[in-house]
Amino acid sequence: MADPLHDSAVSLAWLLQVNDSQFPSGAYAHSMGLEELTQRGLIRHAEGLEAFLHQQVIPSLLAFELPFLARAHDAARREDLRALHALDDELEAWKIAAELRQASRQLGSRRLALVHKLEHVTPGEESSRTSGPPSPPPPFPTRYAAAGAPCHHLIICALELRRLPAVAAATAFAHQTLSGYCIAAMKLIRMGQERCQLMIRRAMVEVAPRIAAVAEDSPARIGWFNPLLEIASMRHARAHERLFIS
Amino acid sequence: MKGHFHITCTRKANGSSYLRRQSFAAPLHLSKPHEDAGALVVNMVSPTAGVFDDDEIDIRARVEAGARLVLTTPSSSRIYRSRNGGYGAVRQAFTVEAGGFLEFYPEPFIPHAGARYRQTNTIAVASDATLLYFEWLTPGRTASGEVFEYAELQWDTDIAVGEKLLLRERHKLTPHDTSLASLRLAWPQAHYLSCCVVCPQISGATMPFPLAEIEALGEGGESGGQGVPDGARPGSRVYIGCGPLALPGSWSIKALCADSLAARATMGSLRGILYAAMGGAPPFLGRF
Repeated sequence: MADPLHDSAVSLAWLLQVNDSQFPSGAYAHSMGLEELTQRGLIRHAEGLEAFLHQQVIPSLLAFELPFLARAHDAARREDLRALHALDDELEAWKIAAELRQASRQLGSRRLALVHKLEHVTPGEESSRTSGPPSPPPPFPTRYAAAGAPCHHLIICALELRRLPAVAAATAFAHQTLSGYCIAAMKLIRMGQERCQLMIRRAMVEVAPRIAAVAEDSPARIGWFNPLLEIASMRHARAHERLFIS
Repeated sequence: MKGHFHITCTRKANGSSYLRRQSFAAPLHLSKPHEDAGALVVNMVSPTAGVFDDDEIDIRARVEAGARLVLTTPSSSRIYRSRNGGYGAVRQAFTVEAGGFLEFYPEPFIPHAGARYRQTNTIAVASDATLLYFEWLTPGRTASGEVFEYAELQWDTDIAVGEKLLLRERHKLTPHDTSLASLRLAWPQAHYLSCCVVCPQISGATMPFPLAEIEALGEGGESGGQGVPDGARPGSRVYIGCGPLALPGSWSIKALCADSLAARATMGSLRGILYAAMGGAPPFLGRF
């Protein structure tokens, strides 16, 4: 008989591990367009970064990424490979700037490779594989990795957190996105670790109370307008000097 | 008002293109087409003031196999203040069949203060066809002091090549949230330009995509003139980027421009660069 406390502790441990900033997804190598914006002088200081987060990144999360993640999470929770693959293909068309598209695929592919290995050592997956004939189908991440999908970061986050509630998955993704920008910014503008953490905290305080609404009742029409970030990313691909891959 | 503009462009045996079918109803009209540089140039004319709330306009253009069509507008598209809270709506559906060519090159889109508007663009391109799809969104009637004072614009675009969705955008712009922050950060009266290019011929080494030439449009003083806003490089009034989309031979170009002069110069230069990359000259649009 399932023990809810045990299940919840296992899920929490999983969430803490995969959302740890030390989790080797390669995210540290990406600024997601921020480097070009700082080089261009459009973001020059911590206040500018905070305005960028609150005026552009958080609205984009709420209007696009988190509702999209909720759809992907639903497909992943049902282990509906075809539906998840279709959403992954659709996300490819949403990501117009090539560098952002490639960064998302790189991060997702690395994360999926690790999730595939980690799920091999979870008790549920391991016992299901050693229970003798008839042999069960491979775990869902393994099947997804073999499906030839683009493996965008958002899709793989939905997949790895499919056993958690959609709100938890969306909160984790929002935290990854916001902390990714803030941590990258420490290498680009004058800003220390404490300021960085305060900024992440303020951003999460802004976004967290609104996550349930978009994760549990995904709006029919999603999308956000940020040509500046798209242009920045397009130009970053050919920048003369750069610290980050994207 | 419920209007439409439906055309089908066909290739004749001698290689020239003509309109095999045309049907239109107010507020849109069709000018007399002309041929130039191997393409049929069609002007979609609006003799009325523009689009009002509750107007619904259906625009369809089909370019049949091997035909070449340039669809343009001779004057800006104006969207007027919504008086009853309703939306003006335009649906555009373009189809380019095998070996066909379509350039859509509109004059600026000018949403007036209080305008409410929804536009849907659905474009299907055969895998060996060519598309140049331009858009130009202005901040409003800036000469009258109206800058980003429209009530709401919704802009939905899907572009598919063959069976694959190439590009999807859903914009909802309103001064009541931060959806205009990205434009305003660049310039207080920023014009937004975009161009989607689908051209299998210019994806290879023999006919490379003119990335450097396009991005160079943002490096100099495109039109000279006024002060430089916070964040822009001195002398630059255009911030432009381009890069490949997910399918070979497809590209996206986006630009933010300080004002209409910079935007117009950029649109014209971009058109010239793209045609030169395809080994031809831009067809004359019939205006001076």
